Amino acid sequence: MSFSIKKEGEVVVVDVEGQLIVGNRQELKQKVLDELERGEKKFLIDFSQTGYIDSSGLGVLVSLSKKIREQGGELRLANLNDDLKTLFELTKLDTLFQIADTRERALQSF
Amino acid sequence: MNDLVHVLTAFHDATHCDAGVWTQPSTGDGPPSLDAATANAPMPSRFPALSEGEVHVQSPAGTVVIAGVPGPRRAWLALGPCPERDVELQSFMAFLLPVVTQYLQSALEVEHAANELAERYEEINLLYTISEILGRTVALDEATKTILSEVSETVGARRASVLVHDRTTNTLKAVAALGVDLATVPSINVDDPCSVSARVFRTQHPMLAEPDQMICPEEAGYRRGAMLSVPIMWTAPAPRGAEPLGVVNLSDRRSGQPFTAGDQKLIAAIATQIGTAIQNTRLVRASVEQQRLAHEMQLAHDLQMKLLPNNAIVAPHATVAARVVPAESVGGDFYNLFRLGHGKTGVMIGDVSGHGYQAALIMALAMSAAAIHSQATGDPGEMLHALMSTLREELAVTEMFISAFYAAIDPANNELRYSNTGHPHAFLLAEGKDFERLAASDPPIGMDERRPATARRDWRAGADLLVLFTDGVSDARNRAGERLGEERVLDEIRKHRDATPAVILERVFEVLDAHITTTTRRDDLTIVLLRT
Repeated sequence: MSFSIKKEGEVVVVDVEGQLIVGNRQELKQKVLDELERGEKKFLIDFSQTGYIDSSGLGVLVSLSKKIREQGGELRLANLNDDLKTLFELTKLDTLFQIADTRERALQSF
Repeated sequence: MNDLVHVLTAFHDATHCDAGVWTQPSTGDGPPSLDAATANAPMPSRFPALSEGEVHVQSPAGTVVIAGVPGPRRAWLALGPCPERDVELQSFMAFLLPVVTQYLQSALEVEHAANELAERYEEINLLYTISEILGRTVALDEATKTILSEVSETVGARRASVLVHDRTTNTLKAVAALGVDLATVPSINVDDPCSVSARVFRTQHPMLAEPDQMICPEEAGYRRGAMLSVPIMWTAPAPRGAEPLGVVNLSDRRSGQPFTAGDQKLIAAIATQIGTAIQNTRLVRASVEQQRLAHEMQLAHDLQMKLLPNNAIVAPHATVAARVVPAESVGGDFYNLFRLGHGKTGVMIGDVSGHGYQAALIMALAMSAAAIHSQATGDPGEMLHALMSTLREELAVTEMFISAFYAAIDPANNELRYSNTGHPHAFLLAEGKDFERLAASDPPIGMDERRPATARRDWRAGADLLVLFTDGVSDARNRAGERLGEERVLDEIRKHRDATPAVILERVFEVLDAHITTTTRRDDLTIVLLRT
């Protein structure tokens, strides 16, 4: 479980490897908030290597999305696997996030 | 000195000459005193220096020969007077002096050994006393104070202190002191360049600070002249190994003698005992705290279970079977049932994100607020919206949210109205049809501000079944880590669709238990089945 952060153009891209759960959500939150503090505005979280997100992980995504929006920024999600896609649809979280099928499409959408 | 008397008496029996051994007292310069003598040995008129050899002195009864006995102790052997004339007192002296010298030497060694033994006994006694003190008390301050006064008594120190490391401030704090008011002893920063205690703590080695060495103001209270400072060590299991917990200082020795290597060894042994006591106290404190938390969790769990409704409160209008199985002692799942008047029934299922005490509190809040709001409005969307307003602050602060489904069923009008904020598993099993998912129209409460939508379905009393469960049920894992899956749950219900809710619930839990077996549950399990 780890997060790698890199910059692609103007967009801060975060890769989530493994799971986003109660044990590591604070780490993700802090990393993104640090970038936001530095003045970054565009964020993309890529879940292509993520198998599972628990409810506290979802909570952190919502809280990050709010904080980024407050600073005039944008958050996009990409590459949710089928299970995660179903989870987002069933809980209507898909109405709160802009979700793209691929990283390229997400980057183009900013 | 009895043995020496025997020697001198034997000498007297053989020669008829008197004999006496005189020694200078070990302290002071007083006159020599008689150690052993035959019956008529006179007090010599003078005691010659060792270098003078044998000296002949006259006594009223005749000639006496006296000589110093070589050795660490100042002693003299006096021979004479003898009743017979022409006795070779010199040759007697040459024979007896080595014997007495050897005897006195041995006696001195025995005396030293006895003193040594007495000291060791005193130290062993001290260690026993300390073990007893530590064995019967867990109050560290009290124990260290007693230990310090026992140790100081043994080594004869009039000033002493025990300093313990405070991790949060990185300072050495005095927990016991002798010869100074504890309240006036300042804490010492571990990095203090002047303090002996700080240096001993850093280097983890004992140190003897010399009397002429500068005394730091922080240590002035418990130091006069030389100070023996020893680290308090505690050996943790590998790989952490030994770590310093504090320092013991002793100073102002009553005898004025310097501290010895033996003192240092003794204090090091005692410091280890104190170290164990400190660690025990910390462990006891942590364990008490843990017990308190476990107790609170148990109370919260009991409270949570008490808050869950009695399924009979909606009878006879509705028949409900429901069960909540928490993952830890306190979980975030809940359900509630309401009598809404005119034969209508309200039913709600929810899942607070997260577990533990905080989730239980939010759940309790949601349960009681829902009971009020369900009576205030007949519209499910409005009810969840009101709930959202009530919980907004709490959810924002704790970064939690609640997925919730709420339905109001009106059998008389064949109507089920519901609102779903992010709850994934809500189904209607209508007579002659398959499951219809009563899908969420909005994200969970706490994630969004919008007023949740209300939807409507036909409802047939005595036939239709409302099926609600939480993701703990469909996500339940077996030993191989495989999920049970939503479909397995629905299949089981489909098989027994004509049975009562209570029977169906049993069947579903049989499937669940067979799947989970002894695996640890990661999430709460909640199922609610309702028929009117």
